[in-house]
Amino acid sequence: MKQYLALIYQKSLSDFKAEARRGSLGIIWWLLEPLLYVGVFYVIFSIIFHRGDESSIVNLLTALVVWKWFDSAVRQSSNSISSNVGLIRQVYLPKIMFPLMVITTATMRFLIIFPLLIVFIILQGYEPSIVWVAVPIIMIVQLMAIFAIGGFLAAIIPFAPDLRMLIDNGMTLLFFLSGIFFDINNVSPNIKFYLYMNPMIGIIESYRDVLLDGQWPDLTMLFIIATVSMLGILLACYILNRFDRQYLKII
Amino acid sequence: MKIPKIQRPLAIKLRNVGVSYKIRSTLFKTSKYWALKDVSFDLYHGETLGVIGRNGVGKSTLLRLLAGIISPDKGEVINKGVTSSLLSLQVGFIQHLTGRENAILSGMMLGLSKAKILSLMDDICDYCDIGDFFDQPVRGYSSGMRARLGFSVAYYSEPDVLLIDEVLGVGDADFKIKSSEALKKRIMSDETVVIVSHNVNTLRELCDRVIWIENGIKCMEGRASNVLDEFVRYKGKFENIRKINHKP
Repeated sequence: MKQYLALIYQKSLSDFKAEARRGSLGIIWWLLEPLLYVGVFYVIFSIIFHRGDESSIVNLLTALVVWKWFDSAVRQSSNSISSNVGLIRQVYLPKIMFPLMVITTATMRFLIIFPLLIVFIILQGYEPSIVWVAVPIIMIVQLMAIFAIGGFLAAIIPFAPDLRMLIDNGMTLLFFLSGIFFDINNVSPNIKFYLYMNPMIGIIESYRDVLLDGQWPDLTMLFIIATVSMLGILLACYILNRFDRQYLKII
Repeated sequence: MKIPKIQRPLAIKLRNVGVSYKIRSTLFKTSKYWALKDVSFDLYHGETLGVIGRNGVGKSTLLRLLAGIISPDKGEVINKGVTSSLLSLQVGFIQHLTGRENAILSGMMLGLSKAKILSLMDDICDYCDIGDFFDQPVRGYSSGMRARLGFSVAYYSEPDVLLIDEVLGVGDADFKIKSSEALKKRIMSDETVVIVSHNVNTLRELCDRVIWIENGIKCMEGRASNVLDEFVRYKGKFENIRKINHKP
């Protein structure tokens, strides 16, 4: 067990290092990428559609940085077993490790970018407030949601490889439904309930409440997301464990 | 006191084991293919067991079963608490990392603790003998150098039961000799080894006992020379029949 945890850490760190050495700009890309990303959306929404005020950049950036963590972790995790066939063929490793390794790498990357987001928020004139202590709670809830969705997809995709085609579009759909470009409170109440099925909408809202509005997040909602995620994690672990030594025969 | 071979402690026991693979033809239609149908044998500590058979009769599947990578769909594999792993090269190598970093990662995947690999690092570095390249990214290695590094890490991983699939020597000409000599020495020692091959001579030289697998079924087991002679005779006949059938 300890050996496996050490391996997850080692592998994530290695992937992280490899990524930093890949491009000639290396680590700078982690910073540049979300900025370019925000730039694109800012141009479209602020300049072309004339929607949004001065606060929209920081609003957008906050949402995009946390979304990016969710997005890259879930996408990579969903592929983690099928894309490691070579390794699975050579050594026995508990299959749960594959989603965990990519999620850890994505989380490391996020933990580097996040402080920069905080600096940016402060530079924009937002006062650090006592409610910021709630940020780690939101992060843990988000991590649980990532693990639940990513782990579940990793567990079932080897059985139905065609699902992979749907994941790209599914993630795009979630992206537009996550309240990155709109305020959830402006949506009519009967649709609102369905929108909250997507955990990221509540999570992004919580980050904004805390960092930008200086309010405590809706703890009941976070608790519900955490509970549902926990069930998802258990289900994913159950499937991965049940078919631990079967996956190679299926892929 | 030397213990007679047959009374050595049991390492792994296979009882009527079968393994099936799923083949997906269309979305909802899958068919089963039994790579192994019925195989039983005991593996004892310290022996070298050979597995012979033609291509595609389930030899590699058998090794994966012994390595614990897959579970049987029929029968039982009883492991008496031994670690077993395939001699696999370049496990989990990452192109942009150095040889040293890859050795750590790869060694951990093969089941060593990080502390253990670090303590073996000098030996691994000496053994693969690639000089300063050891601290360069693997991306810039020639395939020969990569094979050297891969073999060195695998060689030092030392599981209780070593499983070898076909290849004995790897890399460039010099290293091929060095690596196959090293492996042979280890096989001849008291280590528990299972070698899978379709090469009769290799098995004759290295094994105490041989199992012959045909179409997923164990059809003979016994002293290496007996089984291999029988295999050669059968193979000769089989090829004759094939020749006759292919005559116009």
